[in-house]
Amino acid sequence: MKDTTNAVQEAVKKVFDGLDVVLGWKPGYDSRHMTPAFIRKAGDIDQMVFNPLCVQNLSGYLVNTLDAGDAEKESRIGICVKGCDSRSVVELIQEGLVARERLHIIGIPCRGVVDMKKLERLRPGLESVEQVTVESDEVIVTTAGNPERFPAEKVLAHKCLQCRYPNPVIYDELIGDPVAARCDKDAPPPVVETLDGLSLEERAGFWSSELDRCIRCYACRNACPLCVCQDNCIAETRSPKWVSQRSGLPEKFLFHLIRTVHLAGRCTECGECMRVCPVGIPVTLLMEKMNHIVKDLFDYEAGIDPELKLPFQGYDPSESGI
Amino acid sequence: MEDQQATTTQEQKIRIVGFLCNWCSYGGADTAGVCRFKQPTDVRIVRIPCTGRMDPMFVAKALINGADGVLVSGCHPNDCHYSVGNFYARRRMEAFKRFLPFIGIDTRRFRYTWVSASEGQVWQQVITEFTEEIHRLGPNPGLAGTAEAGRIPALAI
Amino acid sequence: MTGVIGHAHGPGTLKIEVYVMRIGVFVCKCGTNIAGTVDTAAVAKKARSFPDVAYATEYVYMCSEPGQQEIQEAIKTHNLQGVVVAACSPRMHEPTFRRAVEKAGLNRYMFEQANIREHCSWVSNDKAANTLKAMDTVRMSVEKLRFNEPLFSSQVPINKRVLIIGGGVAGIQAALDCADGGLDVVMVERESTIGGKMAKLDKTFPTIDCSSCILGPKMVDVAQNENITLHACSEIESVSGYVGNFSVQIRKKATYVDWDACTGCGVCTEKCPSKKAYDKFNEGLATTTAINIPFPQAIPKKAVIDPDYCLYLTKGKCRLCEKVCQVNAIRFDMEDEIITEEVGAIITATGYDLFDASVYGEYGGGRYPDVISAMQYERLLSAAGPTGGHVKRPSDGKEPRDIVFISCVGSRDPSVGRPYCSAVCCMYIAKQAIMTRDHLPDSNCYVSYMDIRSPGKNYDEFVRRAQEEYGVQYFRGRVGKIYPRGDKLIVQGADTLMGLQVEIEADLVVLATGIQAAAGAEDLAEKLRISYDQYGFYMESHPKLRPVETNTAGVFLAGVCQGPKDIPASVGQGSAAASKVQLLFARDTIETDPQVASVNDQVCVGCGKCIDVCPFGAIQWKTLRDGSRKAEVLETVCQGCGLCNATCPPKAIQLRHCKDDQILAAVNAVCA
Repeated sequence: MKDTTNAVQEAVKKVFDGLDVVLGWKPGYDSRHMTPAFIRKAGDIDQMVFNPLCVQNLSGYLVNTLDAGDAEKESRIGICVKGCDSRSVVELIQEGLVARERLHIIGIPCRGVVDMKKLERLRPGLESVEQVTVESDEVIVTTAGNPERFPAEKVLAHKCLQCRYPNPVIYDELIGDPVAARCDKDAPPPVVETLDGLSLEERAGFWSSELDRCIRCYACRNACPLCVCQDNCIAETRSPKWVSQRSGLPEKFLFHLIRTVHLAGRCTECGECMRVCPVGIPVTLLMEKMNHIVKDLFDYEAGIDPELKLPFQGYDPSESGI
Repeated sequence: MEDQQATTTQEQKIRIVGFLCNWCSYGGADTAGVCRFKQPTDVRIVRIPCTGRMDPMFVAKALINGADGVLVSGCHPNDCHYSVGNFYARRRMEAFKRFLPFIGIDTRRFRYTWVSASEGQVWQQVITEFTEEIHRLGPNPGLAGTAEAGRIPALAI
Repeated sequence: MTGVIGHAHGPGTLKIEVYVMRIGVFVCKCGTNIAGTVDTAAVAKKARSFPDVAYATEYVYMCSEPGQQEIQEAIKTHNLQGVVVAACSPRMHEPTFRRAVEKAGLNRYMFEQANIREHCSWVSNDKAANTLKAMDTVRMSVEKLRFNEPLFSSQVPINKRVLIIGGGVAGIQAALDCADGGLDVVMVERESTIGGKMAKLDKTFPTIDCSSCILGPKMVDVAQNENITLHACSEIESVSGYVGNFSVQIRKKATYVDWDACTGCGVCTEKCPSKKAYDKFNEGLATTTAINIPFPQAIPKKAVIDPDYCLYLTKGKCRLCEKVCQVNAIRFDMEDEIITEEVGAIITATGYDLFDASVYGEYGGGRYPDVISAMQYERLLSAAGPTGGHVKRPSDGKEPRDIVFISCVGSRDPSVGRPYCSAVCCMYIAKQAIMTRDHLPDSNCYVSYMDIRSPGKNYDEFVRRAQEEYGVQYFRGRVGKIYPRGDKLIVQGADTLMGLQVEIEADLVVLATGIQAAAGAEDLAEKLRISYDQYGFYMESHPKLRPVETNTAGVFLAGVCQGPKDIPASVGQGSAAASKVQLLFARDTIETDPQVASVNDQVCVGCGKCIDVCPFGAIQWKTLRDGSRKAEVLETVCQGCGLCNATCPPKAIQLRHCKDDQILAAVNAVCA
């Protein structure tokens, strides 16, 4: 990954003069975590890194922090994206929330990122991490000078195990060579399939026990690059009053259904929602199921082609069976 | 507001919410009434201007808050009074209908149909069949579910 | 805004009721229509116990005068702020009761009607169940009413000028009807002359009257009518605004001739040395001069220079027309000009184009000069045409003896993307066959047909005449192939009624090419924000009940742009569209329906999803002072469907009188 880090820094240095800010990653509060970086001074470029701990989807900052929607403002933004992140950028462009001309997209093919919670569970006492390398079925973590090997499916993030788009679908330049996807493009989402195999009662039981933990912190919503309503979200409004703040199971279901319905045909499965949930609810599964339905019905995937219209923003008079 | 229980609803056995578009289906239900076509009494009708007004979240709200069945009915595709509202509706309703079983709600508790203002008999049929189906499915079991899902290994941390 | 505070209890047995909104419930017995299967007294009593219901009663006929008076008195006596009437369907009497409460001083939208007849008393005899259902239905209406707000219409002024796009017979009829009705008319025509396709026809079916004889006077009327401003050789550049207040940019294309000076004398056309210009009016059967007047009855009768053939504009030579023009009208430096017209309504009468039969390789693919389209044949038949009305073969100028007419070329054929019927071809084929037999009594005319569509007055009789009186030979079957042999054309087809193969040695073949949408129809539709179908024909509001209106308020349709039809139907639609415009302009202002959508700027995040989906183009962007963009509803254009409300993620846009809170209140009343 050192090569990729250098390559990213070089790429940014080349174009930095024409940009107002570059979004990337840099080392975080400890060696096990990277953190988003907003590079505004050329001298800070050397802080930038890329490695399998760069979990954050930086496109989440485009609309809410940098207001990239207005093409007349001055900001020219550089942004580093993994495969999954790039789909969020495309989706934002599809919806007209981001002006393509203002972005300089540095695409980084990615073999997967590590879910640190999983790794820490598997390897208690993990302190310093010097290097992480992801291979097709192993993840090698160098800690205290020793490389330790772990099965990839035990430490990679949930989304990475189903990854079909490891290479950015949009970029101004690509760092390194494209990598092979872990899953076939047409593969149905595996955990969704497992759940669909359960009975109706079992599924109700699963979701009840999962969503019961929800504390309505809205971290999932705030981390989502496409949830641009933020504090106008109808899960919190008094007028219209869609959901009360009462801490009951119906309210929790309704909040997550609101997200599912509002992201239908839009979610690009970047997995941030699941990553940031403080109580570990696998919320991405809801979107995966809805995306699967959209794919079945309309042969459409969000965040792949910036020219395409969203399926629920349009109609086809001649479609049948519906 | 929600704390005050209407005593009527406690006596009601099966609650079905119907969202009918003003121009076609509400008119169709009116026509059925004018012709005195007998129907079960369980449905409670909400009048909306167009099925395009239907947000799947209304269906969600009804089912999650205890309705036993939800019916949405509008103009036939190509006949929408507002020309295209029902085209949007059918996409959104279909996607939501397919999603319901994923969270453990029987997809048969939600139905969307197209009934025009002249189709009184069709309305009678629709409401009778749907009500009978809901009676067969029984009252809304609620969200808690009656079975343990067990662990999903792939989700283990 | 509304909501129950609660019931306060005073000392001892004194009970104080506190209301945020005082609602009255009136349960109609409707004679025995409702009271027969619903215990209306019980419903009224139950209603009195609902939150915010200050008064509830029953009456035998609520819609009658005394019934309405009861409501009005109760409003005053009990200080009511909202009224629920539980009775028949609101589709029946909502306007009645709205007026009644308005007379008593309430805003008419502080009223809800609970349907306990068509949906309740009439559809079941189970009195207990019906009564329960009626109580629930009243409860739903009460809960909804608590979220109602007074709504007010506004008045928007109307600019009583109408724009007519297209100068064919439909547009001409519309223009004359509007102008004769006293309205200011602006007509925009793409070609340099009005008249459309009808001006190219020789005779019209079923009367065989001369097309330019009946159209000509109307064209002159358009030119001379004081209320009509004609912009020929012009196209629509852009349209903004809304019904009653459209602003239209029109591109007046360069003609290189000053039409204010030009007298139409035609000397320039006589002298012009460039004689190979494509003659569009004569369908390419002849050539014309670079500077020309399309045909003698052209309106406006002004010369136009075709820049592709003019020797000066292409090579810098000549300028002969400039020398001979007596009024100095030639302007080689002319450029397109954009002008603006402000109008209150628009009628689209842009007509059609004809199918290009060269895609049919089996008919020669356009390579055989003697396989021509019906419109080209029309020009051969026409006395003002390139052959002076003598039917001659394009290849060698000889008179044809055997002529085959082929129906349904580019119609009723899904393989070329034209599955529909073009409505006029059966009739014009019969007409052309009859004309041919008139012009050439020794000729043999054959018509290959699939079906005969002759629905109008005297239409079927006309087709019979062709066969019985004029001896035109009809055979039912398709023509599979046409190929040359010597200077003849071999036409191979079938006669399915006889069960025989047919082979005709023809001198001339006429293809009945079908109608297709005019070039540029889709671009124009996007400018006008009207819809079109997959063939490019414009979409009417309702296929049966509103054939000349579109979903865009203030834009109307007339003629073939809406779908294939014959001249009487086009003229009928022209008049119909004109009457719709007169209807719109009957008052000085438009009263807006307040049950429209409206945006809360504070909640709107500027995502634009509502603007995307609105079927009527009723939502536009606006920019606030801080530079942020928000959606804004054009209230005169909004039809109140609520699609925007359903689409909006933060629910910033709400459909008044059917807001989320109102629907949720009704749903909660059922489920709670």
